[in-house]
Amino acid sequence: MSLLSQIELKDQFRFWPRHNEALFKRLESKHAWLEERHHAPEDLTLDALDNEMVLNIGPQHPATHGVLRCAVKLDGETIDKCVLDLGYLHRGIEKVAEAKTYQEFMPYTDRMDYLSPYSNNVAWCLAVEKITGIEAPERAQWIRMMMCELARISAHLLWMGVGLMDAGAVSVFLWTFELREDLYNIFDHVAGARLTVSHSRIGGLFSDVTDESLAMIRAFCDKFDGAIEGWEKLLNRNRIWIDRNEGIGMLTAEEVVELGMTGPNLRGSGVPYDIRRFEPYLRYEEVDFIIPIRTEGDSLARYFVRMDEMKESVKIVRQCLARIPEIHGPIRVDDAKHAYPSKDEVYYSMEGLIHDFLYTDTGVCPPKGVWSYHAIEAPKGELGFYIESNGTGSPARVRINTPSFTNLQGLEYMLEGAMMGDMVILIGTIDPVMGEADK
Amino acid sequence: MSDDARPANRTSTHETLNFHFTPVDPPKPEEGAINPHAKRTTHVPDVVAALKERFGADVHEVTLYANEHTVRVARERIVDIGRFLKEELGFTYFVDLGGIDRFTEEDRFEIFYNLVNIDAGKRLRLKIRVDEDEPVAPSVTGVWRAANWQERECWDMFGIRFEGHPDLRRMYMPEDFEYHPLRKEFPLLGIPGSLPLPPQAPDAPVSLDPFPAAHGSKPIKSYEEPETDLSEE
Repeated sequence: MSLLSQIELKDQFRFWPRHNEALFKRLESKHAWLEERHHAPEDLTLDALDNEMVLNIGPQHPATHGVLRCAVKLDGETIDKCVLDLGYLHRGIEKVAEAKTYQEFMPYTDRMDYLSPYSNNVAWCLAVEKITGIEAPERAQWIRMMMCELARISAHLLWMGVGLMDAGAVSVFLWTFELREDLYNIFDHVAGARLTVSHSRIGGLFSDVTDESLAMIRAFCDKFDGAIEGWEKLLNRNRIWIDRNEGIGMLTAEEVVELGMTGPNLRGSGVPYDIRRFEPYLRYEEVDFIIPIRTEGDSLARYFVRMDEMKESVKIVRQCLARIPEIHGPIRVDDAKHAYPSKDEVYYSMEGLIHDFLYTDTGVCPPKGVWSYHAIEAPKGELGFYIESNGTGSPARVRINTPSFTNLQGLEYMLEGAMMGDMVILIGTIDPVMGEADK
Repeated sequence: MSDDARPANRTSTHETLNFHFTPVDPPKPEEGAINPHAKRTTHVPDVVAALKERFGADVHEVTLYANEHTVRVARERIVDIGRFLKEELGFTYFVDLGGIDRFTEEDRFEIFYNLVNIDAGKRLRLKIRVDEDEPVAPSVTGVWRAANWQERECWDMFGIRFEGHPDLRRMYMPEDFEYHPLRKEFPLLGIPGSLPLPPQAPDAPVSLDPFPAAHGSKPIKSYEEPETDLSEE
């Protein structure tokens, strides 16, 4: 029993004392004992110089991009050791999934990576479609692909704006948010919601895109081309930006694989792993795009990877825009056991109403005792859903492999030996979303 | 898995009204049936053959669904098998690990490992089973460093200890929490009193229940409700 737990706290209530104790123990710091000695009897003298500096950054610090808590042990300005503390946004959505039907759970995925909700919806729907064996109509697949790429641009724009604001350039933040506003308007038009879109359905989509929204997307692509050209002119050879990023957070190809990192962090170190190529889903085999890769493995390389990825995304969106008007057909599977009937059917036919009721009540039922895993390339990396079915309308187990969680594990390693001033840049370059890391 | 395995709070008192949209036990699709989302990376008969040849009886079961190979192996050999897969078959990239609670079955817990060989384009799933009486599994952090946090999460959520893990703290829940939430017997609304939360108002006491209304007590409000004269009318 440690000294800390013996101290009488009178009316003062401490939250989770054992938690912090374990955290500081992991940090192998004298700080924990310092905290104990604050409450210790008189005979223990206290000398601040005996102790190294321990800094708690977060969970409320704005530079941690959410509720990430980093406890760092400092030696001067160098970070000796870093321990990350997650779970401040833990909502237990894997548990929630077990009590919902497959379709009911879909809006929860919006709240995971809230910067690209559309790709989360699609990831979940594809995972359910895989275990059930449904194939969405072609038109739905193209629309999904286009919207996923727009979501990737939206997420990368936020990374860029916030990352540069961390480095002190506030104006870029405003420029990127102007474009993100356009993207939100597009999502509003297509899905009816700006942030939590919930547009994808198991077996297809909720609604079709209109010509008006296609025109908005086309206008956005043209606007984006000009905008990114300007930013690259400003940043690619910008002395301050390069000095802040070059050689920071170096990771070799072996290290990133060993740490299990995904997404642009993996490709910034020269590992060619992108689910769009590794396990092509939707119609990615039919569009022409490249996977940007850099071999330097520092923060600057990851910046270039993400910038190039946005340009590739626009390329994919343009190809989708060209294809979508050519493809006619339904946007949802015409099978009452696999997808919702259309609203017309529900309102004007008895069978439609029954199907709608049964689908809401029970929904799809994958075979009993099977499991499958489906992953997509979300903006942050591999986002995969492992589903195990028990033959009923709700899953027996859902395991969500989120890219932010795996990437943060690498951050702990990257921060050790880094400078305190680079910490904010390094969190930005990992690009974590805590809603996703904490699930 | 039977219907008993569903969370306890979902079982209603009207057992006779338990209605199923499809038959309770629909026929399992035949092996090799074409799944529209089947990926060629997950079909790895050569790896399965190599594992069977090397480890023989320690490979308990090989299943194929949706073109995905799953190999269930002996729990004690998971580290050896992992090392063999990593060093000789090139599965260097550790993607994911997760626990599964099978509740009423023998060997209650299952752990799956999701491994990728980036160069050869292969994905393999390993599974091991862990008994409820002794929920301990060997840690694979010595083979893949990336398994560290995933194993911590599995410990946090299912209470499966990982032998040889360098830092087996809880991942999401605070250390003071005594339960393992993803186990099937843990109620969806939590256990009142298990997790003290900060007071909602400056003078309010510490709240011990995140969902007071659901458990029949009155939630603490941070404001005074204004009096209304609606009742008089």
